[in-house]
Amino acid sequence: MTKLIQTIVDGLGVGSTYALLALGISLIFGVMHLVNFAHGELITVGAYTSYFFFLHGGSWWWMPVAILASAALASVLTELVAFRWVRNASPFTLLLTSFALERLSHALWQIFISSKQRTFRKPKWVFNQFELLGIKFEVMDLVTIGVTAATMVVTAIVFKRTLFGVAVRGAAEDFDAARLMGVRANRVISGAFAFAGLLAGVAACLILMRTPSAEPTLGSDWLLKAVIAAVIGGLGSFTGAVMGGLVLGLLETLTRAYLPDVATGWDKFAPAAVYILIAAFFVIRPDGIFKVSHAERV
Amino acid sequence: MGAIGQRLGRSTIASAALLAVVWALTTAYTQTGGSSRVLLISEMLSNFILVLGMQVFIGNTGVLSFGHMAFAQIGAYATAIVAIPVAAKAKSLPDIPFGLADTHMGPVAATIFAVAVTMVIGAIFGIAVCRAGGLAPTMITLAALFVVDQVVKNWGELTRGAGGLTGIPIIRGNGWLWVGALVALVVAHQFQETRIGRFSIATREDELAAPALGIRLFSSRYAAWVVSMGLMALGGSLRAQSLGNVNPKQFTLDAGILILVMMVVGGMRTVSGAVLGTVIITAGNELFRQLGDPQRWDIERFPDLFLGATMLAVMILRPGGLLGDRDLAGWLRRTMYRRRMHEPVEPNPGSDTLHAKSIIVHFGGFTALDGASLSVRPGEVVGLIGPNGAGKTTLFNVITGLVDETDGTVMLGATDLTTAPPVLVARAGLARTFQNLRLFKNLSVRDNVALTSAVAARHRSHRLRPDVDDLLESAGLLEFADRAAGTLDYGNQRRLELARAVALAPEFLLLDEPTSGMSDTESLAMVESVRAMAAKVGAGVLVIDHDLGFITRISDHIVVLAEGQVLAEGTPDEVRANPAVAAAYLGSQA
Repeated sequence: MTKLIQTIVDGLGVGSTYALLALGISLIFGVMHLVNFAHGELITVGAYTSYFFFLHGGSWWWMPVAILASAALASVLTELVAFRWVRNASPFTLLLTSFALERLSHALWQIFISSKQRTFRKPKWVFNQFELLGIKFEVMDLVTIGVTAATMVVTAIVFKRTLFGVAVRGAAEDFDAARLMGVRANRVISGAFAFAGLLAGVAACLILMRTPSAEPTLGSDWLLKAVIAAVIGGLGSFTGAVMGGLVLGLLETLTRAYLPDVATGWDKFAPAAVYILIAAFFVIRPDGIFKVSHAERV
Repeated sequence: MGAIGQRLGRSTIASAALLAVVWALTTAYTQTGGSSRVLLISEMLSNFILVLGMQVFIGNTGVLSFGHMAFAQIGAYATAIVAIPVAAKAKSLPDIPFGLADTHMGPVAATIFAVAVTMVIGAIFGIAVCRAGGLAPTMITLAALFVVDQVVKNWGELTRGAGGLTGIPIIRGNGWLWVGALVALVVAHQFQETRIGRFSIATREDELAAPALGIRLFSSRYAAWVVSMGLMALGGSLRAQSLGNVNPKQFTLDAGILILVMMVVGGMRTVSGAVLGTVIITAGNELFRQLGDPQRWDIERFPDLFLGATMLAVMILRPGGLLGDRDLAGWLRRTMYRRRMHEPVEPNPGSDTLHAKSIIVHFGGFTALDGASLSVRPGEVVGLIGPNGAGKTTLFNVITGLVDETDGTVMLGATDLTTAPPVLVARAGLARTFQNLRLFKNLSVRDNVALTSAVAARHRSHRLRPDVDDLLESAGLLEFADRAAGTLDYGNQRRLELARAVALAPEFLLLDEPTSGMSDTESLAMVESVRAMAAKVGAGVLVIDHDLGFITRISDHIVVLAEGQVLAEGTPDEVRANPAVAAAYLGSQA
């Protein structure tokens, strides 16, 4: 029982990080049909930003602000230098453009910093433990789940209550109609990128507090999982992105913790099990948990 | 048979010509440098085969796959397992299952074995990949990549885990690689010439219009998938045999993306593009690798700068790749569809009536259709009019299987089409056009029509089928036959969509606003056009339009739809005289 609860808490921890990233990916997909493979690079940007500030006497008290700001700025910048120029291209072209940016980012960090890992200080309290109902938790677990929940609430308020949020949702529904209603395309898209950047920044904070290090390919592994999570949830659906992230996180930790016991003799296939489940899921529900109908007029 | 032979000949000539150019370039390169240059050429040649493997699926179907490298990996490992001599295998793989310990094959047999094994495994994955739509196939291929990677790393008895296998007998020289490249080129060229290959290209151009014209998404994609699996295995197998070893690091996502970039930069839609991309990226990558060498600038991932910048530039400046749709095989393709000369035959109209009975459709809380019924008799022209939002297009979508009705039936004679998917509706004899034009834009005007003609040859053979060029001539499009459909002006695009639907030899043509965006004179000309085209195949017509002049001139019978119900119907004169119709249009109570 203890093991199960701890596994679930672990899963929710990883899952909320996926969820934050997936939410950004889903948001960008909603406004311009781009599956942004460069989204994970925002984590890398956040990591090098903290590395830089810690070299000059940074503190974790204000580091999250720097990480969030740099990720949002970088996100808006990618739209300005690349995505703006292919805005009406096919989803395939858009996706490959984001791939190109991802490659470029890898190369540039190596050229200007190094290919080696750079580590910095972590907050002292991260791995402190406390006991609740006889089960040991790390402070970071609580922080991760709490911060994610708070971010989700803020996101929900922004998209339900603010003019910006309504404009983005309108644009996601039908961009041309939204434009005719006076929504400014450039402003909405830049805003969406900034917001997605902030979400990635929050994810970056959570990742970096646990493992305070920067390397050029840091974002790529997270990115793939986040894309899978976003598609599991149903691209373009915000609730879906969150659900997809949590489901993927739980699936990963649960199969890792329990599958080797269940399937003796087949244990060599256990690491592949998550991916087989993911593939099976997409066969059964190609549109994800929440299907977003992009009412295409025919 | 003669036609196939002729096409095979053309593919081979195109392939040989391309390969000759590459061979001349590489020979010049290896002659002027050391023997290390030969190694680069081996790498380029195996890249070549892998790029073509991806092109057959991704290039033709437009479905992005991240998982292709996994199947090159299966091919490479299958080769290693049967090609490593028995004595060496006893040491490196003592617990090998399936009685493979005593199996040993020569290079050719091992390659064929690898291709066969991979195609079988790939065919199983392919069922999952090709069934789904949207982004799901891409995600399934990504999952497949990880599945294969994990199995290879963990199934130590068969693969020796992450360390990989060594001691594969090395094939000296690049001779076999050149042979492999030629095979891959011929297969990739030839696939585009086959009917199923052309169908898969149609699904790439428009995932919705293709089924509406009787092209099945699954089967055309699946064929492309299985063929591409064979080429990936060939590439993986030959790479393993030229390196003498195989390990999981050779088949990572990054390695696959490198191959993907090669395909995209040159232009994935054509084989020539894939070839050009391979040469450019392999050369550029090597140059940057040397520059990033520890003795020079010491930047391990320097090639990523080249890859990223090249791809970004291509995507922004030429999203179709450097070559776009230009293709060596295309130059050689003079007239692919030879004109059939035949006696003019009077087509007999079909004998079935199209009935849509009491159709009800709810979209969430909104009722789009509320019990509308209509029927079209053989050879009859029925006009469907009504204010915006009356449910006209929805009724079309219900009849053609794009929208599921909440209640009601659709019958063609005695055939129940109520639940039939678009592809079967089309094959049963209902061909449609779309309100917002859905042509295969990158294909030539002639190919647009020829594709449906090919569907008709298979599924509508009992009907009189019009000749492709004959149809183009009647539509006034013969002079543009070799231009890409997307480059035509608006009126001609509309006429092409009509010709494409007629080529299906349907019993009924369903035309959704054929005159929208046309001038009055063009619209008038369309009356004759539609009638003449329909008469060619003896088809009845159901047509939606807002242009009342057009509708009253063309229709034998008019149905007026308002708020999802039939408000009135009758001859044009009767409908014009009906006060309720005037009220619905003008909004006043009569």
